[in-house]
Amino acid sequence: MKNINKILLTTLLAGSTIVYADLLGEAAKLDVKKVCDVKANGLDKVIAIAAKYNPEAVKLGIEFKRLGVTNSNYIKTTAAAIKDKKKEVVLQYKKKGKVKSQKMATDYAASRACHFAIRALQQKIEAEKTWRMSVPGDGFKY
Amino acid sequence: MLSKVAKYSALIAIASTSLFATDFNIQAEKDRKALVKYMEAKFKDPVKNRSFFPYSTEDELKNTIKKGVKASELAKGSYGYDMKGREQYDDINELPPYEDAIDEGEALYKNNKALQKCFPKTDIAGDYPYFDDKKGEVITITQAINDCLVDAGQKKWNIKKGKMAKLEAYFAHKSKEAGKKVDIKINSKAAEEAYERGKKAYYSQRGYLKLSCATCHVQGAGKRVRAEYMSPLLGHTTHFPVYRLKWNSLGTLERRIEGCNKDEGENPHKGSSKWAKEVLYFMSYMSNGMTIDGPDIRK
Repeated sequence: MKNINKILLTTLLAGSTIVYADLLGEAAKLDVKKVCDVKANGLDKVIAIAAKYNPEAVKLGIEFKRLGVTNSNYIKTTAAAIKDKKKEVVLQYKKKGKVKSQKMATDYAASRACHFAIRALQQKIEAEKTWRMSVPGDGFKY
Repeated sequence: MLSKVAKYSALIAIASTSLFATDFNIQAEKDRKALVKYMEAKFKDPVKNRSFFPYSTEDELKNTIKKGVKASELAKGSYGYDMKGREQYDDINELPPYEDAIDEGEALYKNNKALQKCFPKTDIAGDYPYFDDKKGEVITITQAINDCLVDAGQKKWNIKKGKMAKLEAYFAHKSKEAGKKVDIKINSKAAEEAYERGKKAYYSQRGYLKLSCATCHVQGAGKRVRAEYMSPLLGHTTHFPVYRLKWNSLGTLERRIEGCNKDEGENPHKGSSKWAKEVLYFMSYMSNGMTIDGPDIRK
């Protein structure tokens, strides 16, 4: 029984590592402007791409947040607006205990959510190669 | 004969322990010295070294940024080089807005037996964070205080402000009074790894603005953003908790680091997270040997 548990756990861990590596690898290859283009791909597809990659950014602790709005919030609110066929998205967020809101076009919100989800992952990969370039005594020359 | 063997064995054990202890911070020491060298080179002569300050005017470099700044002066943060800012800072410090907080922190300490038992000495601000090998994690002073309270069956405090900031202000004040210096140790492989993760996080670009902490506080230190000069990594942890005019209250390092992380355009890591604690461990090591100068005021 113990052995079966071990095998199951190892398989699960290996599986999740592959998925993790795959999503980062996949994101690295994407042309953000192309895949997040609402006119070319349609709203549903663009927000689906955001929803696919953003959870990975959340897991890695690198999710983007702009003016109080997390990308998870962008995705959730934009997806609801698309479902209800609304042309405008109202993003709500908390600032100093008060609820505030921002309005923007649904197309724009979907494109931003998609950009944010993919760029967070791409940046993670880029940073692996670039971070030492800013360390005095290492890669940073002055 | 036996006593000689025991003596020699003890000596060898002590020598090897101290050897290993220095081994684990070799890279950190290199990093710290390189940072000191960079900061001193940058502020040696701002007019001559204007490539460090591409957007500053000649007048600004001559009359606002101090020449020949030594690393030790950066315990005051940007007021080590921002001459006009320093005048305002000195004015505000004539009647420091954090004075009451120190007294309140002292009362919190003296009225709480558990805190007195956990922290028999109060001049301890420079000894945190440290790496706890048994727990396998970095322990900040904030966490140590909350762990102490919880172990005594008391409620945790908010890690950003209020009682926590007041007690830390008292500890910082006592440390400053005693002339204590930042003294962060890296005594094991695991501690070294935590330091390296903190360093990597500090220098990695993040958020939708693609900024790293270093963009502002290493390469950006001394550059102007609107009317303010950005502060240096060197000396960053020496003066906390701080009374920020923006907050209109006293806040901890955890509060500040969450704010900085948010300003990079990232959903910020909690001040109590492993990420934040390891970044603080790295930052504090960079200030090793600098005098504790807290609590203090910042804009």
